[in-house]
Order: sequence, then structure tokens, then C-alpha cells
Amino acid sequence: MREVSFGQYYPAKSFVHKCDPRAKILFLIVYIVAVFLGKNFYALGACAFVFVLVAAFSGVPFKSLLRSVKAVLFLLVFMTVLNLFFYKGETILWQWKFIKISKEAIYYTIFLAVRLFLLVLGSSLLTLTTTPVSLADGIESLLSPLKLIRFPVHELALIMSIALRFIPILTDETQRIMNAQKARGADFESGGLVGRVKAIIPILIPLLISAFRRADELGDAMDARCYSGSKVRTKYKKLTFSWRDYLALLSCAALLAGVILLRIYTTALI
Amino acid sequence: MEAIRFEKVYFSYEAEDERGGEVFGSDSFALGGVDLTVEEGEFVAVLGHNGSGKSTLARLTNGLLSPSSGEITVLGLDARDEKNLFEIRKQVGIVFQNPDNQTVASIVEDDIAFGPENIGTPREEIGRRIEFALGAVGMEEFRGATPARLSGGQKQRVAIAGVLALKPRVMILDESTAMLDPRGRKEVMDVVLRLNREEKITVLLITHFPEEALLADRAVVMSRGKIVMEGKPAEVLTRKDELEKYALTMPRPIHICKELTAGGLPVADAMTAETLTENILSSLKEKPAVDLPSVTDERKAFYEDGEIGRVVCENLSYVYNPSQPFRTHALTGASLEIYPGDFFGILGHTGSGKSTFVQHLNALLKTPTAEKKYKPKKPKKGAPIPPKTVLVVDGYDLTDKKTDFKELRSKVGMVFQYPEYQLFAETVFEDVAFGLKNFKKGLSEDEIKTAVREALETVGLTYDEVKNRSPFELSGGQKRRVAIAGVIVTKPEILVLDEPAAGLDPLGKEEIMSLLHKIHKDWCKTVVIVSHDMDEIAENCTRAAIFAEGKVVAVDSPKTLFKDADELKRLGLDTPFTAKLVKGLAEKGVELDCDFTVDDFVRKTLAYAAEGGSHA
Repeated sequence: MREVSFGQYYPAKSFVHKCDPRAKILFLIVYIVAVFLGKNFYALGACAFVFVLVAAFSGVPFKSLLRSVKAVLFLLVFMTVLNLFFYKGETILWQWKFIKISKEAIYYTIFLAVRLFLLVLGSSLLTLTTTPVSLADGIESLLSPLKLIRFPVHELALIMSIALRFIPILTDETQRIMNAQKARGADFESGGLVGRVKAIIPILIPLLISAFRRADELGDAMDARCYSGSKVRTKYKKLTFSWRDYLALLSCAALLAGVILLRIYTTALI
Repeated sequence: MEAIRFEKVYFSYEAEDERGGEVFGSDSFALGGVDLTVEEGEFVAVLGHNGSGKSTLARLTNGLLSPSSGEITVLGLDARDEKNLFEIRKQVGIVFQNPDNQTVASIVEDDIAFGPENIGTPREEIGRRIEFALGAVGMEEFRGATPARLSGGQKQRVAIAGVLALKPRVMILDESTAMLDPRGRKEVMDVVLRLNREEKITVLLITHFPEEALLADRAVVMSRGKIVMEGKPAEVLTRKDELEKYALTMPRPIHICKELTAGGLPVADAMTAETLTENILSSLKEKPAVDLPSVTDERKAFYEDGEIGRVVCENLSYVYNPSQPFRTHALTGASLEIYPGDFFGILGHTGSGKSTFVQHLNALLKTPTAEKKYKPKKPKKGAPIPPKTVLVVDGYDLTDKKTDFKELRSKVGMVFQYPEYQLFAETVFEDVAFGLKNFKKGLSEDEIKTAVREALETVGLTYDEVKNRSPFELSGGQKRRVAIAGVIVTKPEILVLDEPAAGLDPLGKEEIMSLLHKIHKDWCKTVVIVSHDMDEIAENCTRAAIFAEGKVVAVDSPKTLFKDADELKRLGLDTPFTAKLVKGLAEKGVELDCDFTVDDFVRKTLAYAAEGGSHA
């Protein structure tokens, strides 16, 4: 049997894993704000320190973290090159026709690269330590004040939960249909663009039909189990804050305060 | 008190919505005047062929559908009144057919909580109900598990728990065992029986397996939207001619009783292997005058020489996700040979490596040496030389990357589980021709037409009738036939089928198996089937292999394989029904040398009786 995995959850029992998803989401938001508020290397240094601290307590190996950076490496290089050549600085170090490289440009480029690095690493740490299911729970809970303005928070959460539930089933099904059509001589690997698009039809149609059939049956099953989306609905799983979560929130508040102080009392790079 | 009461209920899908048309004729009622009463605490089985209206019954009971006319009362409430639906759905739980399509959450306990959450049960109470429901279905240790990782039987037990958490008084099982293997079916039926006996839950079991109906207090047979038979299961299910008229079969033990009685050895009707064994023994003691049955040809395979249709496999290993932490060793050095002319069975429980093996046969999975980017490595000095992998299918060397894999695929046909879900084209003709056009470029229109016609007629469909129809408007059985036609249209020499009879009723199973024998005789030299059903293997295969933990642990004829029941049990496998009888009889000194088909068992038992048990 094949293991179907999606997302990039790294199973472990660490301090960070045990935190409430809401605390982790809030932490990430504050962290991102702090990274953006920082305007020199001192501030980024503070953010990096906090990140390293959290990463150390997460039990996620460094290698897995770096893998997530690989995905944005191209973007990183592209931005770096662009900034390096086109940032208008004053101390020109090297010049060729209209392309100039200045001292400021080098600083600024490194600054941007570090900032992007910290953002990507921070977000992937969240998905590495939180299962998609509890992430969805956390988002639902954080959005719940929106119920007041009749935003369908519960429905949204249910849709997320069902989508997560059906991803492995549909992945399996796609694999099976692909194999079946391959066994009938279908070729998905060669051919031009038109050929490849055409080759997808024998997969897409059965997959869509099956998804509709499943949706229909699931709807009946939900009806039969008294689903009505009504207000009487209770919730079994209640997220609760523990000392860990308060500690996490406290430390991210400290980070934010620190970065704001640095912003006021140190000179800006930009 | 009456749990469910139907009075002159008529229902037509046409009136309801556009769902109809596929199963029912345009002018017929899905239900045409049904009167049915189920008492509280009763266990009623509803039998019927596909399209008999039995599933409509379930949906009407809890208001997923509402009747065209007639009265439906559930626990004293009028099911036609929308105001009552919420209360009725609380009291009447339905477990549906497909285990994958009735769970909403990715964690077992969250899914079970779904129902109680919907009716506003307080949190602490939900926790208690989850515990109760999981305990009732024997799945306590799976509380935090992911449904996707469970077996079919376990998934259905979770679905039952999800319904139980609402504390219903009535439970309807709408063909809930149809998609399960025999082991999963047994798991589910054990749970249902216990709920009825111990929790006093009224059960309405909708099924097409007569064996399951035997467990009920009362059996009801439906045909064309009407109730046509009703009574004690042991009485209803022995009325052979009537059952045949409604496209149903008798349970296997009763079938054997009838056959023996017809052969001159009167055996009292029995429902289980144990009682049947006893009944046969007591009949034998009476020394009946039985004519020696004429010896018909034993099933014999005609093997051929040469490479065509042969599979030679030695030391085949396969690892999924080799570079990742969750890699799995699906095959760890499997070896076996399939001869040209075999009707070969592949057995093994889930995770034994049998599907991985089968996918190697037409290169959907390849050995590392057959991958495009493979480069031979120099062996390290002193390192042990790994055993050489050999995989030759139909004369093609599948360990060599230079092999023409596309040509191989046209020679080795592969039919996956539920092949009807892979149909995609606008017409049956186009769908069947898909493979042919892929494999053999430059065929003329006429050649394609001839091949498609031949394939469709082989699977028992009329070419002119179906060629221009959409495959999606055919019935389930017809769709499966079209899918098989789409594979055999290239005239493969080896045909591999994964659970070809999965999800079909007993008659459908018989039809598919006889179709495969026809294909085996006229089209494909070698047929390989993967199956969980020991009776199916015993009835049909010339030889079979048992997979366990990535290896082949035995390859032999069913006659030899099924003799060692203890060894099979150790591997987590069951034995065919006839093997249970033979074993039971042998313990009492009646030795039968049979190949475990029902026919041969009957013949050998009669022969034993005719000779007066002299050679015992």
C-alpha cells in the first residue's frame, strides 16, 4: 500500500508541535509583521534569533527546513540579481554601460534576501509542525468573530475539512485512472502541448464524474446524520490554550516590541 | 411497537428529479405499491437484484426521498412531513455502500462526533458517545486514526459508529457490505448482529448476499419495485425456482444441500458449514442408495510450451518512495512462474505485495534496471552480489530498459478494480477503440470497427445496440463489460484483472467469471486474477499463488493450496466453504479427495455414499 502524504507535516512530539494552532498562527502573523517592520540588520537579527530558538524547540531537522527554501530559491536569486543591478545607490563600485553596482545596493540586496529567507522559513515551520486538520481548526476558530457579520465561518471550515479528507482518496483515484489508461496505451509523457492536453481528457473526465458521484453520496450521508448547518450545532473538539501558548504569545509580543524599539532608536538601512 | 411501516407506497424517480433513467425504465415505478412492517427490535433483510427498488426503500425511510403516494410511518412519525425529518433522522441511521464517501473528517473520532455535533449534543456527552460507539464496533484503538489508512471493513465499522453516536433505534444498512472483501463483510455482519441482539437496535439490512440474509429474523425479497417473497430466511432462501426467477441465488450451504439431495443423498437444509457437515454425516450413516455419479472430466489445464503467455519472475523487489523516510518495501524478492494456459489466481491480504506484483506485469511499475535513466553501477569490491532479478512476461524482458514497453502493454492487458470508473469517451465505440488506436497506429476504419465489434460481442453486448450510446447511461454490469472490452480489443496474450467481480451480486459474479472463462478459451492464453474471495479462486483457477510480506509463499493448484487450512489462517487468509466442509468431514473419518469446487465436492460426496463409505 502506498503512503499518501501531502503538505509537509513533520511528525514529532515537540514543544512547538504541542502548541495550539491558533497560538502558532498568531505567532507567525506577528513574526511576519516584525520581519517587515525591521529596517536594519539589528531588527532582522532579532527575528532570526527568535526563529532559530523556535526551530530548535520544534524538533524539525534543519534539512527539512531547508527543503522548503529550495522551492523559492529561483525567486530569491531572481530578486537578488534584479536589485543588485538596478538599485540606485551613491557609492558606485563597478559600472558597465547603464548597469551600476553600488555599495548600498549590495547591502540592500543582502537585507532583502535575508528578509525573504526568514519569511519562508517561518511559514514553513508552521506547516511542518501543524497538521492540515488542526491548521483548519485554528483558522476556523480565529475567524469565528466574523460570524457576527454573517460570514459563513462554519461552512468554510467544513469545506476545508472535507477537502482535506478527500485529497488522499482523489490522489489514489487519479493514480489508478492514470495507470488504467496507461495500460490502454495512453502516453502522458511525450507529444506537444496539444497532444498532452488531449491526453489529460481520459483522466479528467472519469475523475470529475467520480468526484460528483462522491459529492452526491457524501451529501446524502451528511443529511442522514442530521446535518442541517443550524445554530444548535455544538463542537466536540475545543481548542484550549495552555501555558505553552501563553509563553509563545508573550515571546512574540516581546519580539514585536523589540523590533519597534529598534525602529525608533537605530538608524534605518533603507 | 412498529419501527417502520410502509403502506401502499409508490415512488418514481422521474417525479423526484432527473436521477432516474439509468436503472429504471422510463415508465416504471421504482417502488410500485410496497406494504412492509418492521417491528421494533426485529432484524429484517431485504434482498433483491440491482434495480429492484431495495435501496429506494432505505432513502424513503428517513426522508432523503419522499413517496409519490402512500404512507410511511417511522416510530410513529409521518415520514412525509418535513417537520418530522430531523427527529426521524436522529432515530434512524443509514450506513451507505461506499466506505469512502460517508466520512467527513480526517480523524476517526472527529468523524464520529459529526452526528452528535449536528444535533447539538453537549461536549462531554459527545466524548462518551464516541467511546460507546467505537466500543460497539470494536474499534477503540483507532480513535485517533486516519480513515484513509483503514481497511474497507474497518472504514465501514467507523461509518456504523458514526451512525451509532446518534443513538438511533433503527439502523438501515444500504448494501453496506457490497464493496467489501469476505473478511470485511464478516466484520461488519458480526457488529450488526451484536447491535441487534445486545443493543436491541432494529435492523433493516439491504443486501444482495443471501448468506447475510440468513442471519436475519425475516427475509423480504423485492423485484421490480414490489415485495415478492417474505418469510423466515431459512424458508424463503430454499425456494430455488422462485429465487432464480428474481435473479437471486441460494446461499452456498443450501445450494450444496439441494445438489446432494438431487443426487440421491437427502441432506437436511443447513445454514452454516458446521451444521451442514453434521447433516451430511447423519445422512451418510443412513446408507442411502446412491448411484455412482458419472465421472466428468476434472478441471484440467492445457499448458503450452514457449514464451507466449508465460510469466517468469525471480527475486522481484520493489520499494515505494525509496529516498523518503516513509519508504515501504512492497516486494522483497518474489519468485513465481505462470504457465501459458493458466487461469491463475493471486491471493494475499492487503499490503502483501500482490498489487505491486501485478502492476509489474505490464510495466506500470518497473524494476530499477528498466528505468530510462538507469546506468549499471560497478559492483563494490567485497560487497555481496545481490540475487539477479528476472522478469520475463510474454517473452519480453522487463528488466531491460531497451524493451518496447508500449508493445508489451498491448500484449498484456490489465483490468483494474471497478474498471467502469475509467470510462470517459462520448460513445461506447470510442471508448473501446481508445486502446486500439493508441497501440496500433494506422489501422483502417474497417479494421477498427471489426475489432471493436468482436470485443463487444465477446463480452456479451450487442454491437449495434450499444456502439453509439454513451457509456455512462449503461447499467453497472454493462459498463464493466464495456471496460473489459476496451482492454481485450488489442487481443492481449495475457489478461490481468484486479478483483474483477468486486461489488457485484452473486449472479453478476457468476456471469463475469464465465465471461472470463470464455475470454480465456477464445482470446487470451493466460488469465491472471487477483482476488480476496477464496471460493472464487477455488471455483475458477487452475493454479494460484499466495503473497505474504512481499514474497510468494506458495504456488500450487487450489486443491493442494487449500488443504492446509492452518497455514492459510496463519497468513490471515480464509479457506473456501467447501474446504471447511471437507475438513469437518475428515475429522469424523470421512476423507474426500476433492478439488474444492462445489461440483466436485458434491460428486465426491455422492461417490462416497454410493460406495457405502467403504474406502474410509
